[in-house]
Amino acid sequence: MTQLDQNQGQDQQPPPKERLLQQVHPPPRTDDATTPASEAIQNIHLFNQAGDYWEGFCRLNDGNTVPFQAHRVGQQVHLWLGGEMYVFSPLIPASHRRAYQQTSTDEVLCTMPGVVLAVHVAAGDTVEAGQDLLTMESMKTEQVVKSPRDGTVQRVAVQPGDRADRGMRLVLLVPLEAD
Amino acid sequence: MFSKILVANRGEIVVRVLQTLQAMGIATVAVYSDPDANAPHVTMADESYPLDGVTAEESYLDRQKLIGLAKESGAEAIHPGYGFLSENPTFCADCADAGVVFIGPSADTISLLGDKIRSKETAIKAGVPIVPSSPMWAPGENHHEDFLSQWGFPLLVKAAAGGGGRGMRLVEREEDLQPALESASREAAASFGDGRVFLERFFPAARHVEFQVLADHSGNTIHLMERECSVQRRYQKVIEETPSPALDQALRESMGGSAVALAKSAGYANAGTVEFLVDPPTGHYYFLEMNARIQVEHPITEETLRLDMVEMQVRIAAGENLTLSQEDIRPSGHALECRIYAEDPYDNFAPSTGTLLAWQPPQGIGLRLDSGVAQGQEVTPYYDSMLAKLVSWGPDRQACIARMSKALESFPVIGVTTNIPFLMRTIHHPAFTSGDYDTRFVEMYGELTASAAGNNLDAAAIALAERFWQASVPKRLGNQANLPSRPQGPWESLGRASFP
Repeated sequence: MTQLDQNQGQDQQPPPKERLLQQVHPPPRTDDATTPASEAIQNIHLFNQAGDYWEGFCRLNDGNTVPFQAHRVGQQVHLWLGGEMYVFSPLIPASHRRAYQQTSTDEVLCTMPGVVLAVHVAAGDTVEAGQDLLTMESMKTEQVVKSPRDGTVQRVAVQPGDRADRGMRLVLLVPLEAD
Repeated sequence: MFSKILVANRGEIVVRVLQTLQAMGIATVAVYSDPDANAPHVTMADESYPLDGVTAEESYLDRQKLIGLAKESGAEAIHPGYGFLSENPTFCADCADAGVVFIGPSADTISLLGDKIRSKETAIKAGVPIVPSSPMWAPGENHHEDFLSQWGFPLLVKAAAGGGGRGMRLVEREEDLQPALESASREAAASFGDGRVFLERFFPAARHVEFQVLADHSGNTIHLMERECSVQRRYQKVIEETPSPALDQALRESMGGSAVALAKSAGYANAGTVEFLVDPPTGHYYFLEMNARIQVEHPITEETLRLDMVEMQVRIAAGENLTLSQEDIRPSGHALECRIYAEDPYDNFAPSTGTLLAWQPPQGIGLRLDSGVAQGQEVTPYYDSMLAKLVSWGPDRQACIARMSKALESFPVIGVTTNIPFLMRTIHHPAFTSGDYDTRFVEMYGELTASAAGNNLDAAAIALAERFWQASVPKRLGNQANLPSRPQGPWESLGRASFP
């Protein structure tokens, strides 16, 4: 592949000094054997390029050449490389991280895109941890959404037949302090 | 022969059936639900009509609408594909009443085989061994003590109607039995309009092997060899291959003979599939069910036998007799099918939806893709999560797996999470390459915790993503539905240039 050794079509930017992105999908590797990112690539050869899109070959430091495609989707990078589909998001600075990542048990969020089949609770109901709140269906698979804790239902944000996407609020529990 | 046929289904199977019908010179009619208005099957047919609905019940399961459209469009026959109404005896009978030919077996045969209890009686009559099971259960009833005392747990709860894993539950403890019966019954009622379920003996280490049969209206019945379907998750098949590494010639002949005997005993006419469990330690096999339709995994049989199963179905439905005899069935080489599902292998195979920003199937010798989606299309939560079937053929099993491996690595899909990393890892797993695997494969080896691609690629991915991040501008989200089907040319890309 002599093309790769020519400068034409190559990305000439130096690699960034600090990490900018974090891996959202698949779950990042936790073992210690990870190759440092700064040493992973020899060069990149692009044969298709737009503002939000790259397609080309990437030569790894181990000598292998692998095709890739990258898409910028909002604040995410979707990257197909070697048969794997990676998703990256901007790395949140350590100072902001805690506030951002704090998750509340007052909200029950949708974890699987789908359609609401049945709602088993109503506002004002007392629920126990693990109690069934809703039944969802996605691609012919049923999933029961359960209460994350004991509490009281403040509001049910969906009704049967509604389509819910990942991250959407399904049920609101009365906040713990006010319970 | 028919001059026009309506295909009452969606996705890849419609595309597959249309290919054959067009090659046979038959005019084609497709139907579509609201979310499928831009799907490939809609544009491919000569005529397409909306079903004016979103859910399966409102669209692809609406019998009157479908038959009405067949009559209006002048279609003489309906091909039901698989799933939806393909094994619905009422639909089959409605077609007959309306004077439209249903491409499949008769309504009586479908009811016989669709009722798992009556189909087992048919198997016993034909001398085919069956899996031990309990009488039917309906809400409020309780008469399965005999079964429990004889076989105990673990056991399977199964729906009397349907298939594909819906209405089926594995139960390991007594306290889980009642909830499983109720939830399986509810799911079966919703999917098939029949909430009856029963208990069946569960073989933890069994293999799932099925035989394709073909029968005409004169009673000529042959089998087209087996398909090995043991790689399953949630009782849905993921990878199929033929020939099965588990069968020797004696077992193959015995099972093939049983499949033909069963089809004959059921009065079967058209293409159908007889499913068996094989218990490898004993070499015993048990009849599970007969599927009265074309099977999702029919392409691997087509690849090793070089014949067109849909054409066979249409010819039989038109009253033609089989021209093949059992001696003509001589498979060549090895074929493998990987089902590409919109689901996340890193999150317990949870369904995934979104817009296909990239969908660029690989091509090459010995490769075939049966696909129902196209780049730019939205994948919705309303229907099955199967996007396509990638099929490889090779002169032997090893060559066949090697071609599949290369193809999976060369299949860019972006925007919807797929099970491709799981497929890649599975076909390289020693338990798969040795051929010595059973239905526990996914449970034992299916969990992916970190990328299947490996360390070096993970590191390259982050380096590449960061360089791209610095150089790129966000995609306009509102524009996704109108994405070009191939990467942008200079006019489009220049139009998006940013100025410092």
